[in-house]
Amino acid sequence: MRIFLSGLRKLQRRPATWLTFGILTGLLVMIIFAVAATGGEGGQGGGPDGPDPLTLVTFPLAYQLILGFIVGLGGLFAVTYGAAIAGSEWSWGTLKMAVARGESRSRYMLLTFGAVAAYLVAGLLFSFLIGVAAAFIGANLAGVPTDGMNNADALGALPEQFGRGWFAMAEQGALGFAVATLARSQLAGIGVGIAFYFGEAFAGIFLPDIVRYMPFNVATSAVGLGGGGFGAGPDPLPQETAMLLVGAWLIGSLIVAATFTERAEITG
Amino acid sequence: MCANPGRLAAVGGRSSAGTLPQEMTASPDGLALATHDLRKSYGSRLALAGLDISVPTGVVYGFLGPNGAGKTTTMRLLTGLIHPDHGSIELLGRPFSGRDRRRLFDIGALVETPSFYPFLSGRENLRAIGASGAPTTKARIEELLELVGLRDRARDKVSGYSLGMKQRLGIAAALLSDPQLLLLDEPANGLDPAGIVAIRETLRHLAAEGKTVFVSSHLLGEVQQMADVIGIIAAGRLVREGSITELLHGADLVRVKVAPHEVASAAKHLASLPGLDRVEPSADAGWLTVRIAADRAAEVNRALADAGIYAARLEAGSDLEELFLTLTADEAESHEGTFQGIATPTAPGDDR
Repeated sequence: MRIFLSGLRKLQRRPATWLTFGILTGLLVMIIFAVAATGGEGGQGGGPDGPDPLTLVTFPLAYQLILGFIVGLGGLFAVTYGAAIAGSEWSWGTLKMAVARGESRSRYMLLTFGAVAAYLVAGLLFSFLIGVAAAFIGANLAGVPTDGMNNADALGALPEQFGRGWFAMAEQGALGFAVATLARSQLAGIGVGIAFYFGEAFAGIFLPDIVRYMPFNVATSAVGLGGGGFGAGPDPLPQETAMLLVGAWLIGSLIVAATFTERAEITG
Repeated sequence: MCANPGRLAAVGGRSSAGTLPQEMTASPDGLALATHDLRKSYGSRLALAGLDISVPTGVVYGFLGPNGAGKTTTMRLLTGLIHPDHGSIELLGRPFSGRDRRRLFDIGALVETPSFYPFLSGRENLRAIGASGAPTTKARIEELLELVGLRDRARDKVSGYSLGMKQRLGIAAALLSDPQLLLLDEPANGLDPAGIVAIRETLRHLAAEGKTVFVSSHLLGEVQQMADVIGIIAAGRLVREGSITELLHGADLVRVKVAPHEVASAAKHLASLPGLDRVEPSADAGWLTVRIAADRAAEVNRALADAGIYAARLEAGSDLEELFLTLTADEAESHEGTFQGIATPTAPGDDR
């Protein structure tokens, strides 16, 4: 528990936390305001038959679109954030300090990831609230009615969507965490994490039947809200199947990170 | 650098270096640290080739060796960061293996460069480090910040600390759990002269309290002043271990300083002393090394005086630098990459 709480305190002071949150939220707000300011005249996404851009500020659909954006693009941020936290433990030698004090290696890494997962919940929640606030302002700017904000069905579905969204982001964060642990480096972890993200998207064009089971695609399928990360990709998996696979990727990533840390020779 | 660097020694007290505490000889079991046939390779490179060291309880143990001799590898093994290929380690009288990590709760360590979160302050870093391993208290953190002279800078981010300040913080981190055994790798690295004196005093004080301090260092003069016992390793093996008093005073030599223009004359007169092995003019101007039993220093002095040459200084026994270089010379010569320095031109016929 001491390590988990200490992890929370460290992440609260860490610039990467605020940078990740700031960029994601800033992009979201910027897009919402741009849509609202142009009155939806910036063009329709996906061609003439695509959705009206103003749906981004039209409630209750705005709830799902904002959450979908955060969870979709947030996957990229989650993987880099997870990689940054795990990699720095090796790069800065702070894991070495903990091990030399007699701390369990695997417990230290797992609880450190626990703190990352807690910050992903907070990031998801606050980004969503800021996005909703921006959409509300945007709706007023664009003259779109906001009475859909109180739609009971949409509000009632949010907790489950949040849960799935967080689970998906945690899985992607764990993937970055494991990659950086294997690389023993913050920068290498972030680089490889980003490469995986875009590599999976690219591979999805040519190997859709395989890539649909890969970590970023199963995360998108599990949330079931679409997302900001991929364009046309493999057909999504059934949501419950995808949730199971997200769990498998999450647990697998953490086992890899813990096992590697447990067996590693810490020489840096 | 620090507002109050001398506070590192605030706990005061000093026992005389070279005088072994009672614990050292009181019991054959009184070892704080021991390794037996410890071996470790990195790929094809042999780092430790059967290291056997014995560190008595309650002493400052100077762990010396040339670059690449295996000092840091030993530190890593003692702290469970890496695993030995062969051999065993005993910490505080009990066997230690990687599975028995709680043994490290009684041990404080500073291995290689101190490691911190750059975005946290010194105080926050100590709290973060204290969250792992043996529990510690806020009061202990404040006490250590005071001890290492960082209290006034405790709120500043570590990214703004100098190397010496990070080193001080590293020493504080090693002391967090009030350890019985302290393992320090180059603790004086980056410290200013006042800081070096302060850490020497602090380590002496800890030993006087009955704690054991194991210090790896390249500062031979510093080790000579602070250590009770030394172990010298070369090429992964122990080449000498013992009390510093015995090792230095056991050497059969007397060093004499005379006026530089009298060196040749002094050497000529001393050469006639019975039982003398040889006389060597040292590299330092005016120094001669006389290979003779250290307890015959008075005879050397008398011989010089009889010849009308008066010694400015006279030292019986070796110093640590000379002992170190002598013991490690053979190993160094057999290893590639040893730093040779700038060769001093020698006169024709000079066979030194």
